[in-house]
Amino acid sequence: MARTENDIAIVGFAQGEMERRSQKTETEMMLPVVAEAIASVGLTKSDIGFTVSGSCDYLSGQAFSFVSNVDAYGAWPPINESHVEMDGAWALYEAFVRLMQGDIDTALAAGVGKNSNSDASTLYTIEMDPYYLTPLGADPWSLAALQARALLDSGRATERDFAEVVARNRASAKSNPKAQVAGDFDVDELLAADYVRNPLRRHDLPPTTDGCAAIILARGKKAYELCERPAWITGFDHRIEAHLPTMRADITRSVSTALAAAGAGVKNGPIDVAEIYAPFSFQELIIRDALDLDASTEINPSGGALATNPVMVSGLIRMGEAANQIIKNGKRRTLAHATSGPCLQQNLVAVLEGDE
Amino acid sequence: MPDVVRESVFNLQFPFTRSLGSTLSTFFSALAQGQLIGVRTGGRVIAPPLEYDPDTAADAGTDYVKVGPKGTVSSWTWVPEPTHLHTVKHPFAFAFITLDGADTPMIHVVDAGSESAMAAGMRVEAKFKPTEECAGRIDDIIAFVPAADPSPSDGAGEPYAAPAENAITMLDSFCDLTYVDNTSASTLLWMESLLKGQIIGQVCPMCNRTYVGPRNMCCVDAIPLDESTLVTVPDRGVVTNFTIITPVQYPGQTETEPFVRVSILLEGTDAVMAQQSVLEIPASEVRVGMHVEAVWAPESERDVSDIGNRGWGSGGECIRGWRPTGQPDEPAENFVERMM
Repeated sequence: MARTENDIAIVGFAQGEMERRSQKTETEMMLPVVAEAIASVGLTKSDIGFTVSGSCDYLSGQAFSFVSNVDAYGAWPPINESHVEMDGAWALYEAFVRLMQGDIDTALAAGVGKNSNSDASTLYTIEMDPYYLTPLGADPWSLAALQARALLDSGRATERDFAEVVARNRASAKSNPKAQVAGDFDVDELLAADYVRNPLRRHDLPPTTDGCAAIILARGKKAYELCERPAWITGFDHRIEAHLPTMRADITRSVSTALAAAGAGVKNGPIDVAEIYAPFSFQELIIRDALDLDASTEINPSGGALATNPVMVSGLIRMGEAANQIIKNGKRRTLAHATSGPCLQQNLVAVLEGDE
Repeated sequence: MPDVVRESVFNLQFPFTRSLGSTLSTFFSALAQGQLIGVRTGGRVIAPPLEYDPDTAADAGTDYVKVGPKGTVSSWTWVPEPTHLHTVKHPFAFAFITLDGADTPMIHVVDAGSESAMAAGMRVEAKFKPTEECAGRIDDIIAFVPAADPSPSDGAGEPYAAPAENAITMLDSFCDLTYVDNTSASTLLWMESLLKGQIIGQVCPMCNRTYVGPRNMCCVDAIPLDESTLVTVPDRGVVTNFTIITPVQYPGQTETEPFVRVSILLEGTDAVMAQQSVLEIPASEVRVGMHVEAVWAPESERDVSDIGNRGWGSGGECIRGWRPTGQPDEPAENFVERMM
């Protein structure tokens, strides 16, 4: 299909070191990654029409760190810039919508998270319902475990299935130089570990990762100028469910993912590779179910979030990895998924396509 | 001899007072009296109640229904090592509990003694704090415990007549988070220089700007700056801007009288040191264009523990403040257009 000036593609992707504890600030983590992404398509900072990032000050505990992070763009003279307090995948969505206005032809979307400063088991209690959940210290591991237990009780998955998701992702991560947890793991040995939150074991939870990633988008002819084989975004949708997990009709089904997948046109053709952001092992099963992918689709060749999980960046990495499957590996049609909120509350799906 | 600080632990604490609105006020006022309620909306009973039906966004109305105090567990997990934010300090369960008379579950604590006691379908009942300790909070219920008698709750599903005025309309909450930040390489250089009684900066080889306080980057050109760009800069300069602050007595504010904070452009540099204090003259005599010099703390009293990763301009407890040198002022118009 011939591309028009209304079509928007991912043309460049860079990700920095992914590590348990960075010695850098968020701004210092961003600087080389933003520079690498821009340089990878032969541009300079003044060529970028719109810049947007996703991050959360509560991760590093530095008030207004998202403002300091603007230093990493060299934002003088002043640039056209925005920020979302969400994963960089949603920053990418904003950049995509901004490009649709047609007056600019390039944009940069970044995500950064210094997760190691804080403790996930306490920090995320403050993103829960402030009346009914936060006062109980309802933590994300417990909420995920309640969802996992419900999935087990539905009869559609077993704890062994959870461990197999972990083993497969960590094995795939061996070929990802950025992966933090990679290797061959025996499912029986994984199942012998203690529970952190029954029925979830340590391996069912994501690692804590500090990291940054950035993506360059381009519109129309500009995409071909910057990239031999652009990853065209042919479908992009995101949907959200009720704030209280207990208000969902069935916590073991992801209605928002299914709706976003339909909106993004996932079923308009086969998907060669899907990069799924499932922070907890069993959530990959729920998302795959909602996406209704063929058995031929390769899932998370990068190793996914069970190998590397910089919160605020993981979704954007899925976009970059899915794009690289087209840009570098010649794949035809790939999918990127991102999630946010407790128990897969909000889900984003993008379909990327290379030219025939 | 004081030393640099490579890692700092800090607590982020702040209080919130939230207004509850009519529906949650009704719920928490009833809860403080030991009564759990839900709201009938869209053909089902939501408990605890919400102001709106999450399926349709329609007003959920005021058709309140008594629910509980017993209920049925539909999912559960076990917390073997509670954090300081959990309300129960020994191992416990979180569970989805559908209260008798309700159609949707709530999330709460189940205190069942051991993991092996937990199962979907188990009957539990709310165990409240003593009435005089109930404050109209969700943790007025200490926990749900295995129901001594699994039979249905008395009165569940009956209408609940809300009082004309609710006793509980506000919720006090307190955020308490702990962070462990590590000092970045550039901040360590800044700490080391201040302890030595020197102010350092970095010169960008591209734009030639001299930044005070190393950042290991030029924020205009977006390039990294390494140690070869380090320079020692004079500890004297000119006030470029100031503000006089009348202190409000918030927690942590130690000032009681109006005080001045100034921006200072050190000689030969391009970025000001902001939020500096002025010594030896009253706030009312501070002027843009005034020459000042640093007043250093004695070496043994210098301390950098308050300097964080973004304290580029902060002198910590090393620079006590700045005093006028007595030189004639520079023309103020040379500085009023400055942004940094």
